[in-house]
Amino acid sequence: MKIVVAYKWAPNPQDLEVRADGTVDEARGKPAVSEYDPVAFELARRLADETGGEVVGLTVGAAAIDTPLARKAALSRGLDRLVLVADDALAGADSTRLAAVLAAAVRAIGGVDLVLAGDSSVDVAEGQVPLTAAAQLGWLGLGRVTAVTPAAEGLSVERDTPAGVAVLAVRTPVVLAATADAVVPRVAGMKDILAAAKKPVEVLALAALDVPAPAVTLATLGTAKPSGGDRRAVLFDGSDPASAASQLVGALRSAGVL
Amino acid sequence: MNASNASQSWVVVADDPAVTGLVEVARTVADEVVAVVVGARPVADTVAAGVDRVVWLGEPGAVPLEAFAPQVAELVAAARPVAVVGAATPAGRALLGAVAARTQAPVLGGVRTVSVADGRVVVTHAVMGGIAERTVALEGGPAVLAVEAGAVPAGGATAPVAEVAGAPLDAATVTQVRPKVRAGVDLGAASVVVGVGRGLKAEADLGLIRGLAAAVHGEVACSRPLAEGVEWLPKESYIGISGQHVAPDLYVAVAISGQLQHMVGVRDAKVIVAVNNDKNAPVFGQCDYGVVGDLYQVVPALTAALGGSDD
Repeated sequence: MKIVVAYKWAPNPQDLEVRADGTVDEARGKPAVSEYDPVAFELARRLADETGGEVVGLTVGAAAIDTPLARKAALSRGLDRLVLVADDALAGADSTRLAAVLAAAVRAIGGVDLVLAGDSSVDVAEGQVPLTAAAQLGWLGLGRVTAVTPAAEGLSVERDTPAGVAVLAVRTPVVLAATADAVVPRVAGMKDILAAAKKPVEVLALAALDVPAPAVTLATLGTAKPSGGDRRAVLFDGSDPASAASQLVGALRSAGVL
Repeated sequence: MNASNASQSWVVVADDPAVTGLVEVARTVADEVVAVVVGARPVADTVAAGVDRVVWLGEPGAVPLEAFAPQVAELVAAARPVAVVGAATPAGRALLGAVAARTQAPVLGGVRTVSVADGRVVVTHAVMGGIAERTVALEGGPAVLAVEAGAVPAGGATAPVAEVAGAPLDAATVTQVRPKVRAGVDLGAASVVVGVGRGLKAEADLGLIRGLAAAVHGEVACSRPLAEGVEWLPKESYIGISGQHVAPDLYVAVAISGQLQHMVGVRDAKVIVAVNNDKNAPVFGQCDYGVVGDLYQVVPALTAALGGSDD
C-alpha cells in the first residue's frame, strides 16, 4: 500500500503578532510540522508496517517550507521519503489552491492508495484542505477518522460522527483526515533524526504540475484586529474570595447578566 | 464559470436540518435560496420550511454522505449561483470542498458578515484561526462559504422537494454505527456556560465546577486538554478552534489561561468572566470581569454568593 501523508509546515498563530490594522506579522512565527499532523504520520507508519507499504510525506507551500530543519522534522517521523512543492507563488494560497497543488502532486507521485492528513492545520484551523483535495482527485474524502486498519478489500475505517462511531468498509484510493486523538504519535528519537538525513527528498516544480487555474479572484478591501480584545476586564482581587465573589455577582446582576 | 445567476444562492446540507445560519447568509446575497440535501427524507422536509426549493438526493442508506459530494458539486455548478453556503462541520466541509474543487473557488470560513456591493459579494471573515479579520470582494465565481449551522427552521411555509436520483461515489459502505455511550452535550443552546481548563488538579474536582454551573443554570465545558488529553469530560464539551463555538449570554472561564485556540470558540459570548490565579494570564485581557485568585477558593465562594451549594 502506497500512503501519502499530506502535512503542513506552519507557525502557531499564538506566536504571531497582529498589528493594529489587522495585518499579521509572521516574523516571530517559528514554523513546525503542524500540531495535529503527527497523528497522520503515525497512522500511516503503522498501516504501512502492517501491509508492507511505503509512506511518502508531501507538503506544499511557499519557498520557505523547504529548509534542512523542515526536511528533517518531517523525515524523522516515520516517512520513507519526502516530496515537496515549494514555490513563493503559493505564499498565502487559499485552501482550494493548496488542495489543487496537493492533488496534482499526488497524481505525480503516482499509484497512491491512501492520502492521510491531520484534523486541521495549526494556523488556518479549518480542516478544509484534505476534503477539497479529495474532490480535486475525484476520490472519496472522509474526516473525523479515529482508526484505520487493512481489510480484505481496502480499508476498515472508524469515524467519530454525531450519531456515534461509524465503521466503514472503504475502497482505495481514498483521502482520510484523522482526529487529533486517533493515535498517540511516537516522539522522534536521535536514531530517527540521524536516519532522516539519509532519506530521499524530491522537489517537484510547481510549473511542472497539472494544476487548474483559480477561477475566483479575491480583492482585499480591508483587514482588522478582531474586537475580542475590547472587553472591559474589570478585575477583582481574589485574595479575599468571599468579597471578590460578592463583588462579581453584584457586577453581573447590575449588568443584567444574572 | 461564466456569469453567475445573481438571483440565486444555494445551501448544501449534509444530513443536518439545523440550517437557519446557512439560509440567513444565503438570503443576504440572493432572493431565491435553493437547498440541496444529502441525507434522510425528513431532513429534506425540515429544510423545506426555510428555503424556496429543495433538491433531495434520495435515501443514502449505508453510503456515507461524503460520497455524494461530487454530485452536489455538479448540481451547484450547473445552477451557477452567486453563493454556496454550507455548515462548518466535517460533513459540510466535504460538500463545500467538492464545490470548491468543481468551481476552483476558495472556501471562506469564519464568516462574520456578507453583503453585495457593486454586483460583487463582499465577505468579512476571520483568518489565521481567528487572530485577524479580512474583508474581501469576490469575482469570477461563486462565494463558497462555511458558516455556523444555526438552528432547525420552524415549521410553516413549505417549499417543494424534488427528488434527484442519488449518484454517489462507489467507494465506501457504513457497516456499523456504535452509539455514543455518553449523552451529547448541547452547549450551543446553553445561555450560560462554565468552562474549565488545565488549572483543575484532579477529575474529582469537577464537582466544584458542576456546582458553580448548577448555581448559574449553565452547562459545563472545557478546554481541549481536559477532553482529549486526560478525557475528564466528553469530547463534545471542549470549546475551541476545532471544538465547539458557543455564543452564550455568560461564559465563565475557570483556570483557563486564555490561549487563542480556546478563546476563538467563545468570542461571541455576550459577557466573559475569568477566574485564574495568574494575574498575567492572557484571559484577563479578553474578559469583561475577572477574579485573580485560586479556583479552589474562588469557585466555592462564587457558588455560595450565587445561592448554590458545593457538590
